[in-house]
Amino acid sequence: MVARNYRLILWFLAVVAVLGALAGTARYGFARFSGHDPIAIQVIVKSTDDSIEFWQVMKAGIEVAASEFGATVEVTGSRTDADVDEQIALVREAIDKKPDAIILAANDSSRLVPVSEQVAKQGIDFFIVDSGIDSKIAKSVIATDNRKAGQEAGMEMLRRLRAPAEIAIINYAATAASLKDRERGARAVLERRPGITVLDTYNAEGQRENAYEIAKRIIRQHPNLRGIVGLNEPASVGAGRAIRELKLQDRIALIGFDSSVDEIKQLEEGVMQATIIQKPFQMGYLSIKTAVDAIRRKPVPEAIDTGSLVITKQNMYEEENQKLLFPFYDK
Amino acid sequence: MKYFFKLRSFQSNIALAFVFVILMAIVVMSVTSYYMSRESVQSNAQAYTTELVKQVNRNIESYVNGMMYMSDLVANNRTVQAYFSSGYADPEEAKAMKETIADFLGSMLVSRNDISSVNIFGADDKFVLGRKDLELNPYAGIKSMTWYRDALAADGANVVSSSHVQPIFKDRYPWVVSLSRELISPDGKQDLGVFLVDLNFSVMNDILKDIKLGRRGYVFIVDRNGRIVYHPQQQLIYSNLKSEMIDKVLQLKNGTFTSDEGRDSRMYTVQDSDFGWKIVGVSYVNELVANQDGMRLGFAVLGSVCIVIAILIAVYLSRRVSRPIRQLEKYMKEVEKGNFDLHVPVPRTIEIGRLARAFNLMVGKIKELMSQIISDQEQKRQSEINALQAQINPHFLYNTLDSIVWMAQSDKPQEVIAMTSALAKLFRASISKGEELVPIRNEIEHIANYLKIQKMRYSDKLDYLIEVADSVQHYLTIKVILQPLVENAIYHGIKKKRGPGWITITSEETDADILLVVADNGSGMDEETCRTLLFPGAKRTEGRGVGVRNVHERLQLYFGPQYGLSYKSKPGAGTTVVIRFPKNRAVIASGE
Repeated sequence: MVARNYRLILWFLAVVAVLGALAGTARYGFARFSGHDPIAIQVIVKSTDDSIEFWQVMKAGIEVAASEFGATVEVTGSRTDADVDEQIALVREAIDKKPDAIILAANDSSRLVPVSEQVAKQGIDFFIVDSGIDSKIAKSVIATDNRKAGQEAGMEMLRRLRAPAEIAIINYAATAASLKDRERGARAVLERRPGITVLDTYNAEGQRENAYEIAKRIIRQHPNLRGIVGLNEPASVGAGRAIRELKLQDRIALIGFDSSVDEIKQLEEGVMQATIIQKPFQMGYLSIKTAVDAIRRKPVPEAIDTGSLVITKQNMYEEENQKLLFPFYDK
Repeated sequence: MKYFFKLRSFQSNIALAFVFVILMAIVVMSVTSYYMSRESVQSNAQAYTTELVKQVNRNIESYVNGMMYMSDLVANNRTVQAYFSSGYADPEEAKAMKETIADFLGSMLVSRNDISSVNIFGADDKFVLGRKDLELNPYAGIKSMTWYRDALAADGANVVSSSHVQPIFKDRYPWVVSLSRELISPDGKQDLGVFLVDLNFSVMNDILKDIKLGRRGYVFIVDRNGRIVYHPQQQLIYSNLKSEMIDKVLQLKNGTFTSDEGRDSRMYTVQDSDFGWKIVGVSYVNELVANQDGMRLGFAVLGSVCIVIAILIAVYLSRRVSRPIRQLEKYMKEVEKGNFDLHVPVPRTIEIGRLARAFNLMVGKIKELMSQIISDQEQKRQSEINALQAQINPHFLYNTLDSIVWMAQSDKPQEVIAMTSALAKLFRASISKGEELVPIRNEIEHIANYLKIQKMRYSDKLDYLIEVADSVQHYLTIKVILQPLVENAIYHGIKKKRGPGWITITSEETDADILLVVADNGSGMDEETCRTLLFPGAKRTEGRGVGVRNVHERLQLYFGPQYGLSYKSKPGAGTTVVIRFPKNRAVIASGE
C-alpha cells in the first residue's frame, strides 16, 4: 500500500513538473510575443513659447517619464496661453491620432469642455495637467493645488504688510482655471484680515506689457496701495518692472507666481518679496506616470497635488530650490 | 482499478523511473545553466558599467585637474600676491597690477569653453575678474557664498563645490561647479583672498545626460557631503518621487551593491574620485541581462522539448526493456492453459535470457514428467489387465483338464484328442501375439472352441448356437470376454437346471456400438443377485461372478464407463447378458 502511494505521488509530481514546464514556456512565450504596443500619449500644453521655462521644464519631466515608462509622447501646444481656438483645434487633431491618452493643460476652463468630452467619448483616457476645465471628465487632475498656492501668496503678503492697506491682484488670463483658483485662494486669505482692502482683479489679457501698464496705473490711482499679487510670471514681472521704475519697492510688496530670471533679479533687488513656485517637472512626470498607470488599468487618484513652494531672497540659493528656480534643461 | 493496475506494471515503473531521472537532470541543468548564463551576462554588464563609470570619472577628473592646475598657477603668482597683500600701493601702480592679473587670468580662459569664469576676490574689497565682459551682481554677497566660506575653512587647499547656481555676476545665473582656494601670503600669515574658478556645469551635464545604462539606467554624482552634484532626475528626488541610496553610496569607496526593490532592484556601481565626489552608475538589475525574458524563454522551451523527447524515449526504452518479460508472460499464460509444446525464444538480455532458458527447461521438465505419468498409468493399467486375464485362465484350465482326466478315465481316447486339440486352439486364440485387442472373429473362434470342450463334457445336457453377423466380425474387441460369460451360464445356469440347456451367442450393431448377446435358458437369478453381480466387493456364493465382473471391469477400463455388461434374468427363466462396446477398427489409444 505504502509503495503504491509512493508511486502515485511520484507520478503526480512528474505530471505536475511537465505541466509546470509547459505552462512556464507558454507564459513566457505569450508574454513575449503578445507584448502590447507602446503606449501613445498626446500632451497639449498652453504655450510652446521657448522663453517660458515653465512649459520647457514640464516637457523635461514628461520626457523623463516617457522614457522610464516606455511611452511614446507627443507634446503640442498653442503658441500663447490666450489662444483658445488653436488649442481646441489641437485637441481635435490629437483625437484623430487615436492615442491611448490625452493630457491637456487648458487655456480656457469652459470653452475646452466640449472638445474634452469628445475625447472621453472616443474612449481615450483624458487627463488634466496644470489647469483644468469645468467638467469632471478627467480621470485625474495633476496640478498644483492653485487655491492652496493662492492662500500661500496671501499669507506671504500679509506677513509683509500692516493694515490698513490696499492690495491689487493682477490676473493674466481671466479664463484659465489655475489663475482663477489662485485668485480665489489669495482673496480668501487677504479679505479675512481687517483693514485690508482687496481691489478688483485686473486682467493683463495675456500680455506682459499690459501687466506693467496696469500696475503703473493702479499705483497712480491708489496711493494706499501696499501690495500687488501677480497671478503668474508675466503678470508678476510686469508689476515688478513698474515698482522698480517708480522706486516703490519699500512701500509696495510684490508677491509673484512662478519663476524666471526676471523674477530672480527682482527678488535679489528686493522688488519682489516672494514668489510661489510650482513644480512643473513633477507635473510633467506625474501626468505621464498617472496616464500610464490608468492605461494599465491601475487605480489612479482623482487629483494629484504636485505642490508649491514659497521662494524668498533668503532661501533662493538653497540646494533644493536652485533646481526649481534655475531649471537645468536642454535648451 | 484497471488504471492502477497499469500504473503498477513493470513497464510503467521503468518509464516512471526514467522520466524522473531525466526530468530531474533537465530541470537541474536548465536552472543551473540559466543562472550561470545570467550570472555571466550580469558580471559582463557589471564590468561594462564599472568601466563606463571609471571613464566618466577620468573625464570629470581631467576637468577638475585643469582647474586645480589653474589654482596652483594663481596661488604661486607673485603679482597676485603682491597686489592682494599691499594695502598701500600707489593707485596707478595698483591699476597696472590689476590689469596684469586680469590678463593673466584671461590668458587661462583662452580657448577654454568649459570654464565659465576665473576670479580672485581679495580679503578687502579688491577683486579681479578674468573675463572682461562680466560685471559683479551688486545684490550678491560674495563673502556669504558657500564656496567662499568653504575656501577659508580649508586653509589654502582646493575646494570643489557641488553643482550650484553662481549668482555673483550681473544678469547671469549659470550652473557651475566651483573650485575655490584661499590665497595665503608666502610667509603663511596673511589671508589674501579667495581664488574662484567656475566650470560650466553644462559640460558635465553633456557628458552625463547621454549615458544610458540599459533602458532606464543612468549615472549620478554626489559630493562628499551627500549633496547631489548631478542627477538626471534630481527634481524627482527632491520631491521624494524617487529615492537614491546615498548613505550607502557614501559608505562605499569603490565597488558595487544592489538595492533590494524587487523587480525594480538597482545595481549601484560607485567610483570614488580624487576630490571627494562619487560617480555612481545605476543600472536596473532586470535590464542587466538585456534579454532576460528571451533567455528564460529559450531555456524553458529547450527544457520542455528535452522533457517531451525524454518521455518518448523513456516510454520506448521501457517498452523495449519489458518486452521480453511480457513475451515470457505470454508464454506462461499458454502454459497455464495446458500447452506445453512451446519454446520461448531466448532474448539477448542476460537476466531475461536466463529466465527464459530456465523457463524452457522447466516447461520441458513438466512435459517430460507429464508424459511419464501417462506412460506409468498406461503400464499400470496394462498390468492390471494382464492380472485380470491371468485370473481367468487357471480357472478354466483346471476345469478342462479335469474333464480330460475324466474322459481319459472313461477310456474315450477320441474325445480326449478332440478336447485337447480344442483346448490347444482355445489357448492359441487367447494367447495370440500378446495383443489386447483382437477381431471379433478371433473371439468367436475362441468361444467356439470353448463351447466345443464344454459340449464334450456335458454332451446332451448342453446345446449351443453361435450366430454372429459377418458384418461385425472384423471389429475389434478385447480378448476373452465371451468365455467367462458362457462359463458362468453353464455352471450357474444350465448345470443347476434340470434337463438339457442351451446357450446362444448373437450379435447386434448400432451406429456406434456393437452388442454381443449371450443368452441361456438356465436357472436364472433372482433380482438381487442380478443387481449385485457386477459390483465389486459384493458378497457372493461359490465364487460366482468373479470372471463376469472381470470382463465388465476390463470393458469399462478399456472403453469407458458407459460400456460393459448388462444382465437380464429371472429365476427359472434363463439369463441374457449383453456386451456393449464401441466399434473399433484400429487400435485405440488410451481410454482413461
